[in-house]
Amino acid sequence: MNRAVILWRVASFAVAACFIALWQLIANLKLVSPVFLPGPDRAWAALVRGFSSGDLWSKLAGTLEHMAYGWLAASIAGIAIGAIIGSSRTMRTYVAPSLEFLRPLPVSAIIPVAIAMLGLTQAMALFVISFGAIWPIMLATIHGFAAVEPRLYEVARSLQMSRLAVIFKIALPSASPDILAGMRLSLTVALILSVVCEILAGLDGLGHWVLLSARAFRSADLFAGVILLGVTGYVTSVAMSLAENKLLAWQAAQR
Amino acid sequence: MASAAKRLEAVSGTAAPQIAFESVTLQLGGKTIIENLSLGVRAGEFLCIVGASGCGKTTALRLAAGLYQPTSGKVNFDSQPMREPRREIAIVFQDYGKALLPWRTAAGNVSLALEAGGMPSAERPARIEELLRTVGLPGHAGKYPSEMSGGMQQRLQIARCLAQEPKTLLMDEPFGALDAMTRQGLQDEVLSLVAASGATVIFVTHDLDEAIYLGDRVIGLLPHPGRIGIELAVNLPRPRDQLSTREHPEFLRLRRQLFDFIKATEQ
Repeated sequence: MNRAVILWRVASFAVAACFIALWQLIANLKLVSPVFLPGPDRAWAALVRGFSSGDLWSKLAGTLEHMAYGWLAASIAGIAIGAIIGSSRTMRTYVAPSLEFLRPLPVSAIIPVAIAMLGLTQAMALFVISFGAIWPIMLATIHGFAAVEPRLYEVARSLQMSRLAVIFKIALPSASPDILAGMRLSLTVALILSVVCEILAGLDGLGHWVLLSARAFRSADLFAGVILLGVTGYVTSVAMSLAENKLLAWQAAQR
Repeated sequence: MASAAKRLEAVSGTAAPQIAFESVTLQLGGKTIIENLSLGVRAGEFLCIVGASGCGKTTALRLAAGLYQPTSGKVNFDSQPMREPRREIAIVFQDYGKALLPWRTAAGNVSLALEAGGMPSAERPARIEELLRTVGLPGHAGKYPSEMSGGMQQRLQIARCLAQEPKTLLMDEPFGALDAMTRQGLQDEVLSLVAASGATVIFVTHDLDEAIYLGDRVIGLLPHPGRIGIELAVNLPRPRDQLSTREHPEFLRLRRQLFDFIKATEQ
């Protein structure tokens, strides 16, 4: 790491510290009523209290569980469907228009439908989360499969590789940069929809915690929940980037 | 020794052709690319195909590979009709950058052919090392294609083709994108590899000197539609040598004949 990088990093931490200080100042001066806005000190205390009593742990686990199941289901289905559509020109021509209609559909519009059909259940949450998270993955997979170098398929033909071997040894690795980028986008979508489902269906999780805290005017708890959600989003996306770097090491060599 | 005998047999013409084009016509998108092409390539023969661009030489190679099916006529391999590509026919593509898997190392790329051939994974590393050594890439097993020069990538593609243990090697302007020095080095290496394996070769090039230098026989195609315009037997002694072969009177005579032919087709 060179000096410039270190300086930038220090500067970005300084900016973050300034924001927290400003927040503390506003809270101390009571520019906003403490009922609605706790200072960072109270939010931190609420976080510590929540974790030491175990309440926040279980809520965090609930949200992570919703997010992970929905995202994994979306990834498996998105890659499988995307691979089928992407590897066939005919499928692309026939299916693409329907996809173009479904894709921009706001997922929030699906929630009442899902509740009507599945009730206020975990299954409903799983369906909504995976429905929302599947699009970036599926579209990226379609694109990745459609963009495989045709020459490689000729190499595969001359080696008389089986259909399965062609998919796993040529098409999937070739599409993997696109697929992983799609999965990273979906991670954020999955987190958002987990919170929405918890709020709407009262499922155990940080969304539910945030809602209850707001209703009871426990602003410190509310902020603790929000901070924790932010951290969750950040940590999962960093983990995803690390996984991408590791899986796509060959691309780093290419640059 | 076996390969020398095979080559002698090929030149003397007693063996049945390994690859036979029988009145092959190919139309693509309503255009006749190749018309009524008949051609036999004997086992162990080194055949070079030259011609102006657009004369269908690459197409002829793809027909021999089984990547295209003729519109009419037949392409036979060992007296069997070619319906699809086969593992004993390996193709070296000109665009090595596209024909290698960028996510696999040099060893991984060679391994692809061994995996396709069903070699048990325990036996692969030794064979991969041997093949990489054969093409002059020892110690590069862990490199990705993107970390290698053009010449090295083409060597790697040749190694993968050799891993198929091909009876026939089809080479589509394999050195067209390389600089002159690399090109000459690889010409000699291909000659010695082929002599060692006894494989039949069809070698497409636009470089007339290269065709005469490498081949037992050179065929010149006429364009629109592609058909045979000239056929020359190259009776130059082997092993060939970059200096003495190219100064040989027979080489110069063939060169003049081939240049005149190409000039005439371009008018």
